[in-house]
Amino acid sequence: MVVAISLLAVALAASNASSAGNPRISFDQIAQQAEAARTADRTNEAIKLYSEGVGLQPSWSKGWWELGSLYYDQDRFAEAGASFRRFIATARKPDPAYAFLGLCEYETMDYDRSLQHFRMWAGRGWGGTSELIDVSLFHFALLLTRQGKFVESLYLLATEVQRRGRSPALAEAMGLASLRMKNLPEDYPAEEREMVWLAGNSAVFAALEPNDFARADEYAHRLLVHYEHTPNVHYYAGTLLGFEGKKDEAEKQFRRELELSQQNVAALLELAGVDLEQDRLGEAVEFAKRAVELEPGNADAHHVRGRVFLAMDQPQQSAKELELAKQIAPDGATIRSHLAMAYDRLGRKDEAKAEMAAFTALKTKEEVFVPPGEKTKAGKPPRSTSGPPE
Amino acid sequence: MIIGASILMVWSMAMPLQAAPAAHASGPTHPEAPSNFTRVSQAAVRAREEGRQEDAVRFYKQALALRPNWKEGMWSLSTLLYDKTQYADARDVLRRFVALDPDPGLGWALLGMSEFQTRDYSRALDHLERAMAQGLGGQKEVAQSVFYFAAALLNRFERFDESMSLLIEMVKSGQAAGPLTEPLGLAALRLPLLPSEIPADRKPMIRMAGQAALALEAQHRDEAEVLFSGMVTEYPNEPGVHFLYGAFLLDVRPEDGVREMKKELDLSPSNVSARLRLAEQYVKEQQSDLALPLAQEAIQLDPKRGPAHMILGEVLVAKGDLAAGIRELETAREEAPQTVRIRWDLLRAYTSAGRSEDAKREKEDIEKLSNPERAQ
Repeated sequence: MVVAISLLAVALAASNASSAGNPRISFDQIAQQAEAARTADRTNEAIKLYSEGVGLQPSWSKGWWELGSLYYDQDRFAEAGASFRRFIATARKPDPAYAFLGLCEYETMDYDRSLQHFRMWAGRGWGGTSELIDVSLFHFALLLTRQGKFVESLYLLATEVQRRGRSPALAEAMGLASLRMKNLPEDYPAEEREMVWLAGNSAVFAALEPNDFARADEYAHRLLVHYEHTPNVHYYAGTLLGFEGKKDEAEKQFRRELELSQQNVAALLELAGVDLEQDRLGEAVEFAKRAVELEPGNADAHHVRGRVFLAMDQPQQSAKELELAKQIAPDGATIRSHLAMAYDRLGRKDEAKAEMAAFTALKTKEEVFVPPGEKTKAGKPPRSTSGPPE
Repeated sequence: MIIGASILMVWSMAMPLQAAPAAHASGPTHPEAPSNFTRVSQAAVRAREEGRQEDAVRFYKQALALRPNWKEGMWSLSTLLYDKTQYADARDVLRRFVALDPDPGLGWALLGMSEFQTRDYSRALDHLERAMAQGLGGQKEVAQSVFYFAAALLNRFERFDESMSLLIEMVKSGQAAGPLTEPLGLAALRLPLLPSEIPADRKPMIRMAGQAALALEAQHRDEAEVLFSGMVTEYPNEPGVHFLYGAFLLDVRPEDGVREMKKELDLSPSNVSARLRLAEQYVKEQQSDLALPLAQEAIQLDPKRGPAHMILGEVLVAKGDLAAGIRELETAREEAPQTVRIRWDLLRAYTSAGRSEDAKREKEDIEKLSNPERAQ
């Protein structure tokens, strides 16, 4: 990608060579003409002029912003992304541009960078117009699903559903995350579309109507009727029932899931959690052990196992598991609080204190992840006509 | 219909191209020597005409590197790439093409179809709708493909009624009904799937629904009834099946239609359409007390649905609550200002309420909607 940017910069500079060498046309004149062309919707002319402008003065951040926006509006995402990168490099407060850059990278299938830039955008306060926030949040969530961060993804999507209401796209996205499918809407098997749609509708209505699960249950029922033997369907049903407070029924669904797919770590962890609540520690420790064996790199698995050991009054083993969980997910606030408890029981007071402090700090940091609560309408990807950030 | 690949011939004929581009072909003057461009572009055209697709693609790319705004080259290259199922590459070329020349509907059409193939469905539908609005140059085969893709996508985005209308238009225009059976069945059953996404075990049911819709459109009511009742027998627990049969029966034997609608609601309690059809029937039968809760529930389930406000307005007016009825009908009018039935409802309600100015305005609007040309 660095190569691509450099090439573009060279190409832009080369294309501007004639203007640059022409003393009759000043940068200011080009900037004025570019602005006039843009406001008159003469897009191609504006692109040409802004390209000349940034060629003459590469530090002209407004020029990069407008150029990126114009390319973005033409769905020319490779060029738009390159311009937003330059904007980020030259602007004082480029925050919303991270979202645009993430969107461009999503479209050019540079997913890892896209996710990275969405995270940067979120970390800097989710800036931008409400339309930009909606579309970026949505794509951010899609990439979290792709990475297997289903809970984070569902959290963002549920927030969107509550703000914008149901839409087919949100339902599809929630379906993928609910069924723990590490896929994007454009790359999952066609024959699974109905299953995703049913799960997604169920999840959407659970988020929309948290006091009335009739519609969520209706779709979940249809899902179970047609896809009873498909992995993660019972897991989803169990999650929904747990959300509804029907713990016994939820447990049945998790157990059914485990019968169907014995290596389902998510179901193992849910059941270990249920066992912990009900003080069935013998089974809990078995489930947690299996989960860790199946996915040694899964922080949640070590975390749950650590909690089980804590409940079994085995603080030494608990601390060992929780340290592993911390190593994998250093930002996991609750891991740190449980680790503090384990250290406390071991008499390692200073370390316990340090972990509690980390827990408090991370708790605050986690709140940064909460997107702004402003009301926004559903929409297509934004037309980036708003003015540039500073 | 040209749904898959092998569209090159059709599309090449659809957009007139220069056989051998002149040195001054479209695009700004470029410092590159014209002879180079002319030589390469002519080689591209020759390769395309001789069916040497690999060579043609290579030469077109070379020519476009020399003259990036060569529109004819972009068009030919995109059709070649589409034909070679390189849809993402075709899409990227077409995005540049329509940015240079947004007028031809054909450009938007092929862009939409490329995006369909890359599963960028939202943009695909936007661009196919734009193509339909701008016109497809009288190219029947192209139009058939575009309409097919658009209807399939409208359905996937849960715009079932629009999908159904478009499919029926296609049937009426004489298009072969075979390929339309599954899209029609999906729209009828309100399943937001593409035909390629239909699970194997649900195919027969969806085909049956499509065949029934086709029979109904052809006024073969007996055949339609056999199919609808057959669906109910074979798939009694599938959502949408009783609704379809019920909707058919309400026009023929209303009592049986009501029974089927109730079965549908037992099976899928959140079905808004079934509630509305049932409420509508009760209004016809002057059973407003039965209609009212159904219409109210429909709005609770889907507050943005215009027809729900229309039916509730009709129910309230029928019960004599003119003020509340008018409020609902006005909401319905906001949602669907082109729906003449709502305007008639309002005309009658305003008249009953003594609001003669409002009634007069509705009457004028109805005339405009009924005779759009005379109104201009």
